[in-house]
Amino acid sequence: MPAPDAISTPSPEPPRRSPQPGLSRYRRPYLLAAAVLIVLAATNVALEPNFLTFGVAASNLSAFLPLTLAAIGQTYVVLASDIDLSNGAIVSLVNVTAVTIIDGMHGSIGLGLAAGLGVGLAAGAVNGMFVAYLRYQAIVTTFATGVAFSGLALWVLPQAGGQVPASFYTSYAGSYLFVPTVAWILIAASAFAALIARLRFYHSLRAVGGNMQAAFQTGVAVARVRLAAYVISGFFAALSGLALVGETASGDPLIGGGFTLSSITAVVLGGTALSGGVGSVLGSVLGAFILGLISNVIFFAQAPFAWQGLIQGAIILLALSGGVVIARRSGD
Amino acid sequence: MPSLVARGIRKRYGGVVALDGAELTLERGEVHALIGSNGCGKSTLCKIITGAVGADAGELILDGRAVSFAGPADAVAAGIDMFYQELSLIPAMTVAENIYLGREPLTRLGLVDRAALRAQAAAAIAEFGEALGLGVDPDAAVSDLSADQRQIIEILKVLARQARIIIFDEATAALDRHQVGILFEHLTRLRSDGRSIIFISHRIDEVFAIADRVTVMRNGGNVMTRRIAEVTRDEVVTAMVGDTQLTRSEAHHRPRPEPALRVEGLDAGKLAGVSMTLRRGEIVGLGGLHGQGQSDFLRALYGVVPIRSGTIEIGGKAFDPKGPLAAMRQSLAYVSGERTRFGIMAIRPIFENLVLTLLVRDRHVVVARRRLEATISPIIARLALKFSSLAAPASDLSGGNQQKVVIARMLAARPTILLLDDPTKGIDLGAKADLYGIMDDLCAQDVSILLYSTDDKELLSVCDRIVVLNGGRIVAELAGDERTELALYRAAYASGTDASA
Repeated sequence: MPAPDAISTPSPEPPRRSPQPGLSRYRRPYLLAAAVLIVLAATNVALEPNFLTFGVAASNLSAFLPLTLAAIGQTYVVLASDIDLSNGAIVSLVNVTAVTIIDGMHGSIGLGLAAGLGVGLAAGAVNGMFVAYLRYQAIVTTFATGVAFSGLALWVLPQAGGQVPASFYTSYAGSYLFVPTVAWILIAASAFAALIARLRFYHSLRAVGGNMQAAFQTGVAVARVRLAAYVISGFFAALSGLALVGETASGDPLIGGGFTLSSITAVVLGGTALSGGVGSVLGSVLGAFILGLISNVIFFAQAPFAWQGLIQGAIILLALSGGVVIARRSGD
Repeated sequence: MPSLVARGIRKRYGGVVALDGAELTLERGEVHALIGSNGCGKSTLCKIITGAVGADAGELILDGRAVSFAGPADAVAAGIDMFYQELSLIPAMTVAENIYLGREPLTRLGLVDRAALRAQAAAAIAEFGEALGLGVDPDAAVSDLSADQRQIIEILKVLARQARIIIFDEATAALDRHQVGILFEHLTRLRSDGRSIIFISHRIDEVFAIADRVTVMRNGGNVMTRRIAEVTRDEVVTAMVGDTQLTRSEAHHRPRPEPALRVEGLDAGKLAGVSMTLRRGEIVGLGGLHGQGQSDFLRALYGVVPIRSGTIEIGGKAFDPKGPLAAMRQSLAYVSGERTRFGIMAIRPIFENLVLTLLVRDRHVVVARRRLEATISPIIARLALKFSSLAAPASDLSGGNQQKVVIARMLAARPTILLLDDPTKGIDLGAKADLYGIMDDLCAQDVSILLYSTDDKELLSVCDRIVVLNGGRIVAELAGDERTELALYRAAYASGTDASA
C-alpha cells in the first residue's frame, strides 16, 4: 500500500454558504407579531376613535393583562420544548385561593397574595417534577395536573363569589404616578423577563429547547432547567390569577379555563416555535395583545354574535399563516 | 502517574456487545490515537469516559483515583471533555452562545456579559482565521453555517473549556487539509501544556501525523497499543483486521452478462458521480467506512433521497425514481437494517406488516385476507420465520425475525432488484445464515442484489464484487481473488485516490 506522507482529504470541500437572513427570525421572532398588532390597532382606531385615549387604553390593558401574564409564563415552558396545559387551571386555583383567604381572614390582602403566589409556584413545581425528573410526557401530564388543579379550585370555592376589600380593586384599577397600576404590573413583569433573559439560565433554556441531547452532552443541567421553566410558568399564572382578583373583585373557580389554549396561541402568534429553542417573551406579550384586539375589533364592528367565533378563529389563522410563510421562506 | 486509566470496561446494548473488557491508559501530555473499524466500540468507550453512557462493568481511574460519572456534567467538572462526532451545537443559537454554552462570562451582578461573550468568541474564531471561511462571526446563527464551519465551531467549543483530557471523535471528518493543519497546531499546543488527548480518526495518515501512541480496538476490546514511532501503517491495519486476514471470498454466483441496473454519474445525498453496473443474478457489495454515501446510493435508487443529476437504467430502459411506489412498480425493493425506524410497525400484527407492500402496490381497497395469506405463506416458509400467530404484534418477534418480516414483505412483491441497506444489523447468527441462503436462492433466480453492510466479513462472504466508497465516490472495485479483508481495509482506510492502487 502506498503510504502518502501528507494528510489528504477524501471529500471535496463542501460549498460555503454565505450568511443568510435566517437569523433575524431567531433574534427577532416577534417582528411579525408587531406588524399584525399595528394593523389590528389601526383597525381598532378606525372603528372606535377614542381607542387611544388614556381611559380606554388603560381599560384595554386591564382586560388583556391576565392573559398576557399567563402567556409570558407559558413562553418559558415552550422555549424548553415542553408545554403547560395546566396554566389556565393554575390561574383559577390561585384566583379562588387568594379570594378565599382574603375574604375569610377579614381582608388580609398580603397573606392572600402570598398564598396565591405560593400555590402557583408549587403547582409549577409539581408539573416540573413529573415532566423533567420523572420524564412523563409534558402534554398529557400537564393536562392531568390541570384537571387536578381545576378540581382543587372547585373544592376551595365551589361557586363564583367571595369578596375582597374595596381598597384592593380600586388600587388595581387606579393609577400611581400618573401611570395605571396595570401598566406598572406589566412593566414589572417585563423587567423581570428582561432580567431572566440576561441570566445563564436563559441560554441553557434555549439550548435545552433547541437540542436537548446536545445540551445534555455539553453539561447543561437539563432537568433543573425544565423544572425551573415550569416554576416560572406557575409564577406567572399566579400573577394572572391575582390580576383577575383585582379585575373582578371576586373569585371564580372556572375563570382560567380558556387561558391554557389562549396562552399557547399567544405564544405561537408571538413567533415562539412550539418545537422549542426559538422565541421571545416580548412576542408572547404582543401575541396576547393581538388576541385581545381581535375580540375588540369584532365587538366594535358589531358582528352578529353567532358569527363572532368564526370570525375570531379566521383572524387568528390569518395571523398564524404569516409565520408559516416566513418559516417556509427561510428554508425549514 | 497516568492521567486516565480505563480498565475492564464492558457494555451491552440489548443483545449486542459493544465493549468486552476494553482498556486504555492515557498519559499526561500525549496525543493518543484510538483506531478500529466500524462498531469496534471506540465511540462507546469514549462516551463512557465522558459519562454520556453508563458502563455495565469496569473502572475509570482519573489521576490515580477511581471515579464514576452520572452524566457529562460530572465529567466536565472533573476536566474531561469530548468533541462529539454528531456535534453538540444548538442550531438556533449564535456561534458565541454555542462556544460558551453553560460557561458564559458573567458581570459582577451575575448577568451574562454579552460584550465579553462576543469578544471571547471573536478571539476564538480569529485563531482559525480565514480557514473558517465567510460568514462566521460571533453573532452568526449556527444553522446558517456549512458542515466544516460547524465542525470547527464544535472544536472551538471544546477548546474553550480548557479541559485536561479532551477526546476528539472524528473531529476532522468534514475539514479540509488546511483546517486539519490548524487543528493539529492546537493539539500540539495542548500537548505541550501537559493536557491529554484521545484522537479518533479513520484517516490513518492523520493518526501518524499527530499521535504519540496508538491503540487499536477490535470487537469491543483492544488488541494493540504501541508508540507511533515504533509501528508501521501496515501493522496498524493488520491489527484492525485481525488474524482472519487470509479469509477470501468464496461467493460465486453465476451472473448473466446482461445488466439489470446501470447507473451513470449519480449525484444524490453524499454521492458524487457514481457509475456502476449490476448484472442479473449478481450480488454487488458496497464497502467502505460508515456513512460514505452507501445508504444514500440505495435510498436514491429507491426514490427516497432526491437525485441531483445522473442517469439510471433498469433492464436497458431509463428510470427516474420519483418515490418508493414508482421504484416498487419497477420491481425494486429496499430493506433497511434500521427496522424500528424504517421497517417494522411494532404494535401492528405480523400479518399487516407482511402484506403492506402488496396492499400499497396493488391499491387494494378491500383486504382479501385469505388470498394474501396464500401469497405470503410460501415466503414465510422459505424464510423460516418463527412466530406464534400472524395476529401477534410484530414487537413480539426477535430482531432477526423482524428483519425477516421486512424482507418477506419486499419479496412478496417479487422484485428483480433487491437493495439491502445493512440488513443484518443487530440480528443473530442463525437469522443471518437464513438470510444469506435466501440471497443465494434469489440470485439463482436472476434477482440482482446491491448490499451495503457495515460488517466487512459479510460483504466478503456473500458478494461477487465489492465497490468501495469514500467521500461519496467509488474508489476501488474488488472482484475475484482481490476480495480479501486486507484489500478491503486498505481501500476503505486509505485516503482519496490512493485507495485504488
